[in-house]
Amino acid sequence: MKVAFINTLIKEAQHNPKIMLLTGDLGYQIFDEFKEKFGPRYVNVGIAEAQLICAAAGLARDGWRPLTYSIASFMTARCFEQIKLAIAYEKLPVIVVGAGGGYAYGDSGVTHHSGEDFALMSALPGMTVVAPGDIYEVEQLLPQIIKLNAPAYLRIGRGKEPQYHVKAPVILGKARQLSQQGQNIAIISTGDIAYEVVQAVEKLNAEGVFPIAYQFHTIKPLDTLTLKDIADQVHTMIVVEEHISRGGLACAIKSWMVDQKSHPKLISLSSPDEFILGSLSQQEIREKYQFNAEMIIKTVKDNI
Amino acid sequence: MLSKLETTEIDINFLQKKAREIRATSVQLAYDGQTGHLGSALSYVDALVALYYYWLNISPSNIGDVQRDRFILSKGHGCVSHYVALADQGFIPKEWLHEYACAGKPLSSHPCKHLLDVLECSSGSLGYGLGIATGMLYGARLDKLKFRIAVLMGDGECNEGSVWESAMFAAAHHMDNLIALVDYNGIQAVGRSDEIMGHTSLEEKFRAFGWGAMTVDGNDIKAVVSALDQCPLKTGKPTAIVLKTLKGAGVSFMEDDVLWHYRVPSKEDLERALTELDAVPIHLEKKV
Repeated sequence: MKVAFINTLIKEAQHNPKIMLLTGDLGYQIFDEFKEKFGPRYVNVGIAEAQLICAAAGLARDGWRPLTYSIASFMTARCFEQIKLAIAYEKLPVIVVGAGGGYAYGDSGVTHHSGEDFALMSALPGMTVVAPGDIYEVEQLLPQIIKLNAPAYLRIGRGKEPQYHVKAPVILGKARQLSQQGQNIAIISTGDIAYEVVQAVEKLNAEGVFPIAYQFHTIKPLDTLTLKDIADQVHTMIVVEEHISRGGLACAIKSWMVDQKSHPKLISLSSPDEFILGSLSQQEIREKYQFNAEMIIKTVKDNI
Repeated sequence: MLSKLETTEIDINFLQKKAREIRATSVQLAYDGQTGHLGSALSYVDALVALYYYWLNISPSNIGDVQRDRFILSKGHGCVSHYVALADQGFIPKEWLHEYACAGKPLSSHPCKHLLDVLECSSGSLGYGLGIATGMLYGARLDKLKFRIAVLMGDGECNEGSVWESAMFAAAHHMDNLIALVDYNGIQAVGRSDEIMGHTSLEEKFRAFGWGAMTVDGNDIKAVVSALDQCPLKTGKPTAIVLKTLKGAGVSFMEDDVLWHYRVPSKEDLERALTELDAVPIHLEKKV
């Protein structure tokens, strides 16, 4: 996803001379082409996330279109107040990009985990929060986020995320249908865990089980129209996300449900409300805390 | 180096009169609005006057000009005197001063750009102004603009690590059109800044971060003007002017007292202050 991100950004920067890329001393080699093509429109601010955001704010207020880049945990939590006050409060068009979101840096330990970035970013008024599922969604969503001209957070992966192939278009703010057919149970995902959903759906289909599946790459604003449509069709929604349940997609859906006359049962498959110790890989974390394809299949079967 | 003003005593007198008026108006507003942070607003008035009435190329007529200089009050809590200067210079109507710190009105207790568009940015949380200024100047260089930015910070504000992140960035990018003025009044919210910062020199710190730096009597307008005239102190480096000031400067019973960080003046305090300052608040002046 990092490569898809930078390649898409290069395309955008070629026809938008105001786009700038500011990094907090991360992105070794992957930004070389951007740097070569656009010179001073690439800035390594250093390991200084507060400054990264404030400098981006200073640029954005004078017509520049900066994107800030670091590992998701540093890019959101470390400089949360700067994002809140220098960007969101001022309504400036800065795109905050968190790489290796969720537990992509699982084996690097708690310092590199970002199981709360959706919660933090969604809490800010006016912030659009986006988590593409694969490189195609990155390629499709980034130009749409740039067009927003408003504060946004983009969570991308660490690299080598598997791609899935579905026909539905990728429209910012609109949930993307992953499954062709559907019965009365829905699987809803965001971010690159969508691949686990696609895998689970394929296996379930082979066994004659046909859940509805949607990818909510845009977490905020929540696509409540599609949500309502899904809610009307199913008795159970399984929300899968690489994020703690509190403040993430499941939480946003639960909040929406509170205002509905009736709604389906909601099951949240998410990461735990604890610091995950022990240098587990992303896959090991998904397995241990039961939000991988296998658990999705089991949950569907248990609730069909 | 002789400043342009050292030869014209009358201009200094004019600036000193402005400083007294701004102080008197600030005390009046703090009383009317029943809002604190007066000590923080009074300490830097002389620098404010030197900037707005002498050094900055900024006026109501060029506010839309991209070439104009910029001023950022990074220590937003001391905003009342900045509001008075803006009103006195005609950036905002003087009538607005009557509504300082009133709910929903433009002059809020911490500056909000959404309510007061003449500001470069909102402020109130510390350690932002310098970083935002560096972004503005980086973009300006790409746009081939050569304006200057003066950022006024507090000495307490310099506790914030983000100030030093920004200081390194400014030095790395040779921003010699950036001036940081540090209001070294020696007192922060609940203590003496020297004790909290381990008695280390602000001037030396900025120099160590790659800046040109000097310390001047920040309550002597002539000294501040002279310092501004010397900017940039070093070609290719940003400049820090450490303003040695008194918290509450200009009102004897408010000077150098931590109490006046938060204290709201009483009616009696107001009257004593106005008598000492020998000035009439600018929004209460009788029209001739």
